[in-house]
Amino acid sequence: MGPTVQVRFTEGFARAFTGGVREFEVEARLLRDVIRAMNERFPGLGERLVEETTVAIDGMMHETAYFQPVPPGGEVFFIPKLEGG
Amino acid sequence: MGLHRRDRYAPILETLWMSAEAKEFKWVGTRPVRPDGVPKVTGRAQYGADYRLPGELIGKVLRSPHAHARIRGIDTSKAEALPGVRAVVTSADFPDHPFAYIGPERVAQNFWHITRNIMAREKVLYEGHAVAAVAAGSAAVAEEALSLIEVDYEVLAHVIDVDEAMKPDAPLLFEDMTTRGVEPAPDKPSNISKRIEFGIGDLEAGFAVADHIVEESFKTAPVHQGYIETHACMARFDADGQGEIWSSSQGHFVVRAMTAKLLGISPGDIRATALEIGGGFGGKTIVYLEPLAAALSRKCSQPVRMQMTREEVFKATGPTSGASMSVKIGCTDDGKITAADATFNFQAGAFPGSPVVNACMCAFAPYDIENARTVGYDVVCNRPKAAAYRAPGSPISAFGVESVLDMLAKKTGMDPVEFRLKNAARQGTQMVYGPKLSHDGYIETLEALMAHPDYKKPIGPNQGRGVASGFWFNGGGESSATVHVNDDGTVIVGSGSVDVGGSRASMALMAAETFGVDYDKVRCVVSDTASVGYTHVTGGSRVTFATGIAVHQACNKVIDDLRQRAAMIWDVDVDAVEWRDGAAHPAGANVGDFEPLTIGELAAKRALTGGPIGAAGTTNAGAQAPGFSSQFCDIEVDPETGHVQVLRFIAAQDVGRAIHPSYVEGQIQGGVVQGIGWALNEEYIYDDKGRLENAGFLDYRVPVASDLPMIDAVLVEVPNPSHPYGVKGVGEVNICPPMAAIANAIDQAVDTRMYELPMSPPRLLAAMDANGADGDD
Repeated sequence: MGPTVQVRFTEGFARAFTGGVREFEVEARLLRDVIRAMNERFPGLGERLVEETTVAIDGMMHETAYFQPVPPGGEVFFIPKLEGG
Repeated sequence: MGLHRRDRYAPILETLWMSAEAKEFKWVGTRPVRPDGVPKVTGRAQYGADYRLPGELIGKVLRSPHAHARIRGIDTSKAEALPGVRAVVTSADFPDHPFAYIGPERVAQNFWHITRNIMAREKVLYEGHAVAAVAAGSAAVAEEALSLIEVDYEVLAHVIDVDEAMKPDAPLLFEDMTTRGVEPAPDKPSNISKRIEFGIGDLEAGFAVADHIVEESFKTAPVHQGYIETHACMARFDADGQGEIWSSSQGHFVVRAMTAKLLGISPGDIRATALEIGGGFGGKTIVYLEPLAAALSRKCSQPVRMQMTREEVFKATGPTSGASMSVKIGCTDDGKITAADATFNFQAGAFPGSPVVNACMCAFAPYDIENARTVGYDVVCNRPKAAAYRAPGSPISAFGVESVLDMLAKKTGMDPVEFRLKNAARQGTQMVYGPKLSHDGYIETLEALMAHPDYKKPIGPNQGRGVASGFWFNGGGESSATVHVNDDGTVIVGSGSVDVGGSRASMALMAAETFGVDYDKVRCVVSDTASVGYTHVTGGSRVTFATGIAVHQACNKVIDDLRQRAAMIWDVDVDAVEWRDGAAHPAGANVGDFEPLTIGELAAKRALTGGPIGAAGTTNAGAQAPGFSSQFCDIEVDPETGHVQVLRFIAAQDVGRAIHPSYVEGQIQGGVVQGIGWALNEEYIYDDKGRLENAGFLDYRVPVASDLPMIDAVLVEVPNPSHPYGVKGVGEVNICPPMAAIANAIDQAVDTRMYELPMSPPRLLAAMDANGADGDD
């Protein structure tokens, strides 16, 4: 069992994949744990998160990748993936 | 170049940099001579079109003369029979792909679309769309062969303007495309590929407490990246199925991956080499010619060289979107924004995938707004598929938002910089796209403008001063680098990143700083795809941040190795050895009386202590910091002609830390210049058949030196704590503010608000006439 973190989705993403629910609490130490926990609640969601999102962990942008640590009580916000020029 | 702004404005701006993490470096922040300078000025540098191989053929592309047509048949038999022709390819030579979006929504790649973009199948969707390609012994024979290819077209109605393309009765590019992101899903097809929405707070309540509300509509023209070097490549495939590609691109790993996918072969069968690049600005993050050259070469087992003409570049490669938008913002009498709402309609071009998501996310990002919403529509039309262009999407939304902010500042009687300061986002501010802002930097750019000695200078008749700001995320992601130490202690850095904006210099500077050796002892090269690990494109303002982390990591691995070797020579534990100033030193007096061992001395003993010295660094870099730019300009309007002369341009940007300030200033100046072109002149002009009439630099007018004042780049340094040297991206955000800054200045000069880009002389003159403005006598 790990510490809990707050998981957030954008309204559009939540509407499409989590029945409109935008906020969750899961136990996690790594982003891998977050993705696994969300996939258990919504089968197939894990792949969507990996493929379609960038993640902001307490506001810091990262690629959605398993190895990323998440601090206890932290906010994990999945947003659309970004591209630059 | 002039002195660093830190030197010139030290008394005024000292406090800004005092707030930044104070750390002195020997090499980071200096301006050594650029390592690519001599080959470029002597003509030795090899760009895409310069590369030659024995036995090479010339490849040419047959392109559609129609904006929209069904292909009933293609007959290449006469071309194939022409003496000197070695290979002809059409879409039949490329495997088709299932209709599936692969990857993230914003940047999803649908190879059903991509294979049809590089070579049309059922339909041509824009003038210039590739239909067939030929390889022959000479350009003349290849051109003649193209003329012998017979294409049977059924010409269809076309649509280019985004608002026209969204209408229910518009000609459809894809008869089965329905809008994603709408519930319930539409039962009728349309050109609207996608709808996206972001929101926070309560819009209705926010507008209800506003004392002032401005709601306006704007339109921007699609503009091309305008890189000087046209697309060019060489491909060679041998009978064993192994191939090589040399091209000018922003990412040779992406060239390899996309070409392999489009040919249906393994990336391991292609070795891609990045040649010098004459500008990309996002437009060379994708492929056009490489898969065609590779397919032709595979067919005839000879090298094939291809190069686009400027006309082909304009007609067949991605510009950024044209757009229409509506922006509504409310504020109180004292200038506090209470609500903001915007809708953006973006041209995607012939296939879905405009940067409208970025526009929605960046639009209000510089501001602390409790109640906000952004809505975006991605719309296909009969133009080339949009490609990335410097902060894709953000400059377009900034034009509308920053124009409306200027109107609100006037209504409240506030200085436009003070108005923005009152509403500025800071670390912890809730963003419309969800999370809270992670880094400061915006306020510091506004303070730099306020402190600038030119901001309060008086202006003359028909002159105006305009202010605007911009936001860009900056990028991180996957990067690789290698570091090797030569016999004499000199260092070779192999970077996976194509050097577009000076990354060889910045990587060498960071390596020199990390090792503690002189900059001229470090040489950085761009390695090919067989010589370094995967590295994502040079785009998204990511290279100095992400590849810099990979270089730093590789250097530190080598330093650890060198400490081990010194410990072996001194017969002490490795913990008793520390590294500084390019040498191993005893960590304390009790370690022993050893003279420092320099990197050169250790390299000379490499065989004795373990063999060659080198390491690789790889990262998927995160915690990148966003970039903010705030700018003001002074312009003068000629009331007789409507011509706008830019008199002064000041661009303050939070750069984290400038590794090589001259290159950073160059990035800022370049972004502003491209913004000036977008603001005042650049647009595509089509005839009534959807054919481009200005496919060349004589008629598609980018700014030239004589159009421009000196762009004054002010480097604001608020270091990013997540990078060993404080780096934030610097390449893109500078293009976001200029369009609105110039529009705001025009409004001040001649009391005429411009709602459409470009603000070219005839358009401004017409607006002034309609407004009854005739300038000052």
